[in-house]
Amino acid sequence: MQPWISTAARVGLAVVWLVAGGLKIGDLAASGRAVNAYQIFPYDVAKVIGAAQPFLEIALGLLLLAGLAVRLVAGISAVVLVIFIAGIVSAWVRGLSIDCGCFSSGGQLGAGATPVYGWDIARDAGFLVLAGVLLVWPRTRMSVDSILMGDDK
Amino acid sequence: MSKATKQRAAEAKRIVAQQKARERRRTVTLWTSVGVVAVLVIAGLIGWAVLAGQEKDTAGSVVVPPTATDDGTAFARGEGPVTIDIYEDFMCPICHEFEDSAGPTITKLVDEKKVTVNYHPISILDRASNGTEYSTRSAGAAAAAAAGGKFYEYHEVLFANQPEENSDGLDNAKLIELGQSVGLTDQAFADAVNNGTYQGWATDVTDKASAAGVTGTPTIKVNGTVLEDRTAAGLEKAVG
Repeated sequence: MQPWISTAARVGLAVVWLVAGGLKIGDLAASGRAVNAYQIFPYDVAKVIGAAQPFLEIALGLLLLAGLAVRLVAGISAVVLVIFIAGIVSAWVRGLSIDCGCFSSGGQLGAGATPVYGWDIARDAGFLVLAGVLLVWPRTRMSVDSILMGDDK
Repeated sequence: MSKATKQRAAEAKRIVAQQKARERRRTVTLWTSVGVVAVLVIAGLIGWAVLAGQEKDTAGSVVVPPTATDDGTAFARGEGPVTIDIYEDFMCPICHEFEDSAGPTITKLVDEKKVTVNYHPISILDRASNGTEYSTRSAGAAAAAAAGGKFYEYHEVLFANQPEENSDGLDNAKLIELGQSVGLTDQAFADAVNNGTYQGWATDVTDKASAAGVTGTPTIKVNGTVLEDRTAAGLEKAVG
């Protein structure tokens, strides 16, 4: 049973990262503006974070899909997700009216739109559970790790 | 060899095999970790490099419209003591609503010589036009209209003909046609729209607006302070 649960978590989290990064990579300037909308970093810093982020997300997704150093990648994923959640909480607390930019280019919401920070946080927390499963049980089927370690026989 | 010795030998063999396996796991973990960190660092650097390349391209293609004011980022209307800055995206429906509700008040304030209005056409909604980058094209066209001395008229007609979000937006032919309807009948305007002469400028202005803390459209500033109450009454009150 177990290696398959972790395998599903690994592929699931990989897809999350690939989709999140893929939706942002086409417009890096917009990604930078999404980071800037949080009003945490100066714009020049936000721009660099916004440009690096989609590439990092896709890299995390590909590494998980390949199953390379799963425990470490899951750990990094968890740290990144905690940072995302902290960012959303901080935007919420400060009363900012923004799109979290999680799966889009984000930015400020229009006058009529209400932010859905609760849902954004719940969703990221769900992804965090996937990362947690992999942190505790990093051994999965059909992974580069298992081939290198000689598990799959 | 006695049975006991055989057992001990087998036991020793098993322990050695276990140790070897553990060592293998350690080595694999170490090197895959090094590899992963390297991949992530490289991915981040690629993002940075791609952005730097894009910014360099933009910087090389900025043509500032001759009539632009406020450091070449806006088009001014009126000559009053109070400055109103309006950051708008021609794809943004709330900008259209603001224009409809507060536009007459702005015109009145301009006519009374109370305000100078700086219109900043920025492009933050390029994702909402199916890849045709309507926000950037329309902002560039507005700059071309400004070069022809008809910014405000063109700005009005763009909002009056605003396309739906997530449609293809208006094509260049339609942008030129709208220009003709407000008197931009010369070839220079049509060429500027078709060649995207001012699109690099639009991208640059958007970047400068973001640096100035604009995170969405419409953003209205009255003497540099962001207007929270974006109604006609709210605007009039802020102008004083």
